[in-house]
Amino acid sequence: MTIRSEPLVGIARRPRRPFSLSAWADRGTVFSWLMMAPPILFILAFVGYPFCYGIFLSLESRPVAQPGTFVGLANFIKDAHDPVFWQVVRNTFVYTIIATLLKMIGGLGLALAMNQDFRFKNAIRALLLLPFIVPTVLSTVAFMWMLDPAFSVVNRLLFDLGVPKPGPSWLGNPYLAMFSIIMINTWRGLPFYGISLLAGLQTVPTELYEAATIDGASGWQRFRFVTLPLLKPIILIVTLFSVIFTFADFQLVYVLTHGGPQNATNLLATYAFDIGMGAGQLGLGASVALTMLPALALLIVGITLYLRKKT
Amino acid sequence: MGKSSRRDVLKIALGGAGAAALPWRVPAQAAESKTITMLHESSFIKVFDEFFQKTLAPNYEKETGVKVIYEITSVGSLPARDSTVIETGSGADISMLALLYPFLYQDKLLDVSDIAEDMGKKQGGWYDVGKEAGMIDGKWKAIPYSNIGQLMNWRTDWFAEIGVKQFPDSWEDLYDVGKKLKAKDHPFGFELGHGFGDNHGWLYPLLWSYGGHEVEPDGKTVVIDSDETAKAVDFARKFFKDCMLDDVLSWTDVSNNKAWYAEQISCTNNAQSILWLAKRDFPDVAKVTDQALNPQGPKGRFHLMNSISHGIFSFSPQKEAAYDFLKWLMDEKQLGAWYASADSYYQPTLHGYDNAPMWDVEPRNKPYRDAMATAHLPGWPAPPGRQLAECVAKYVTIDMFAKACAGAATKDVIKEAEAQLKEIYKSA
Repeated sequence: MTIRSEPLVGIARRPRRPFSLSAWADRGTVFSWLMMAPPILFILAFVGYPFCYGIFLSLESRPVAQPGTFVGLANFIKDAHDPVFWQVVRNTFVYTIIATLLKMIGGLGLALAMNQDFRFKNAIRALLLLPFIVPTVLSTVAFMWMLDPAFSVVNRLLFDLGVPKPGPSWLGNPYLAMFSIIMINTWRGLPFYGISLLAGLQTVPTELYEAATIDGASGWQRFRFVTLPLLKPIILIVTLFSVIFTFADFQLVYVLTHGGPQNATNLLATYAFDIGMGAGQLGLGASVALTMLPALALLIVGITLYLRKKT
Repeated sequence: MGKSSRRDVLKIALGGAGAAALPWRVPAQAAESKTITMLHESSFIKVFDEFFQKTLAPNYEKETGVKVIYEITSVGSLPARDSTVIETGSGADISMLALLYPFLYQDKLLDVSDIAEDMGKKQGGWYDVGKEAGMIDGKWKAIPYSNIGQLMNWRTDWFAEIGVKQFPDSWEDLYDVGKKLKAKDHPFGFELGHGFGDNHGWLYPLLWSYGGHEVEPDGKTVVIDSDETAKAVDFARKFFKDCMLDDVLSWTDVSNNKAWYAEQISCTNNAQSILWLAKRDFPDVAKVTDQALNPQGPKGRFHLMNSISHGIFSFSPQKEAAYDFLKWLMDEKQLGAWYASADSYYQPTLHGYDNAPMWDVEPRNKPYRDAMATAHLPGWPAPPGRQLAECVAKYVTIDMFAKACAGAATKDVIKEAEAQLKEIYKSA
């Protein structure tokens, strides 16, 4: 008896389909990676590389036009011994904290006002964005004139109100100079807060306000227990962006005071630039710029964790 | 999303990536063409830049077939642009170099001693300050072009109101005049903020004229804490308090020009552009504007060398062509005409131009020529270099004076400056 093995029909291999690039690219995981690849590569090239190179530079003695020498934390130690560095750190924190608070409070007020119904509402909302749209250098030059002792419209007003001449030296007095740059930064950043919070306000369901009103809530209580909790995530996100922009602010100070008088308005970004570009000390400049990192990283991590917990 | 649209998206993305890759082919073609790029900071005297673009560059192209691109950067942005060019090794073949930058970039600059020696022989010899600005360890690493001198600009009409017909010869005499003029609502305005030039322009000469220095010529020993420095600081404090506007503490380089044209100040320290622009835009102010050498102090009279020079990048693929062009440009025929295009805003560092017709265009500019003999780079007599550039960039000396003017004690501001300088010079 001869036993012949017959192929089992049920387990026969199906003929393999020829490889198709388009079919492969159409697979969900492949397609999503292909879509994500350009931005990831972009971020790696234009954010990741400069960031890592900045860290590398900060660990080197690296004069411009000369090869670098690894010095470990020597640049940071040199910064720590520099009294101007600590003044600049203090300035940056004062500038960022006060300006951000003013923008947050002012922006919330602006958003609440803009959320009301009134004539020319859309036109006024669009106009509100102007300070944010106008190039910073241009608006700063305008402020330079407004605060100039000879041409100051601010001082002219003060004289009319009886303040004796020559009036306050807005940029010459260290405290007033810091006050001035905070005010200008607030003016410039207010629309960002205002429009972002306005967008958030418009997502709050009106039913909640109606229910609160029926329950006898006052205007303040509706704001405190309905509006504010629902806006909190947006406020946190906008604050995060605002702190990052304000902490690293450069143009305003560079154009208006270049860090003067006597470093009273010098910020980490302007000081790092002067050391890196003006003195050609790329490593030392990078170390000054990198001191922004821990504070910003803590803030970003803190807000992200909070938002994740809430959701 | 359907299949076809996914493919479309991919096709567009790949097409875009391909298109983005195309420009990589361009540099190879550009390298073959005879084009050189010269980087220059925008001049306050617009005709100076125009003369290069409309006359010098086309003439050179006509003579040699080599095209010269004159790339202008805004005032103050040249160091950043130069750093980028040096770090990437591309972007320009020749650059204008201000103040201490030839010393910072020396490793990436071509030795141009042949050109400089030849110029010295043919054009009357170099001023000492010319050698100070371009020569490093016996080699010329940059060709000094000029000083943009910072001198005294004063209102003849207001000075005359208190009986002063000639500019005071000493700082103390100037103080007496300033006190009287401030009382008559014609204060002085000298920059004490974080500008690029008008602050250094008077504070370094003031320090030197009292015998003060930051660092010894050995480039290591910090000597700012001296009686001479204290006297200069004390003078600056009373000069500010009794003669000036409060706002000068925050002034940058544009501020005194604005105040001058607004007829707000009676005396300042500036380049001669202040008169040049007054003649063009404020003729009434120009009529009563005069210019003078800096006053002298107990140890003499000094001026700042606000140096402009030109260097060739050693990594340039066109360095031979750049060398030939710079040699042509620095020939008397071209150089004299380029100087003359800006009247005498750029004061030559060669004696051959001491009596050039450019000085007769505006006789009030002649003090700028006479200042060359007593001019020095910031930080003199310390050798220019990395540490000195850091002192200047951190405004150590400027802020020493500014803090005293704002009310701090002389001893304290000098101690602070000394501590900063010692920290900076640790690496020397």
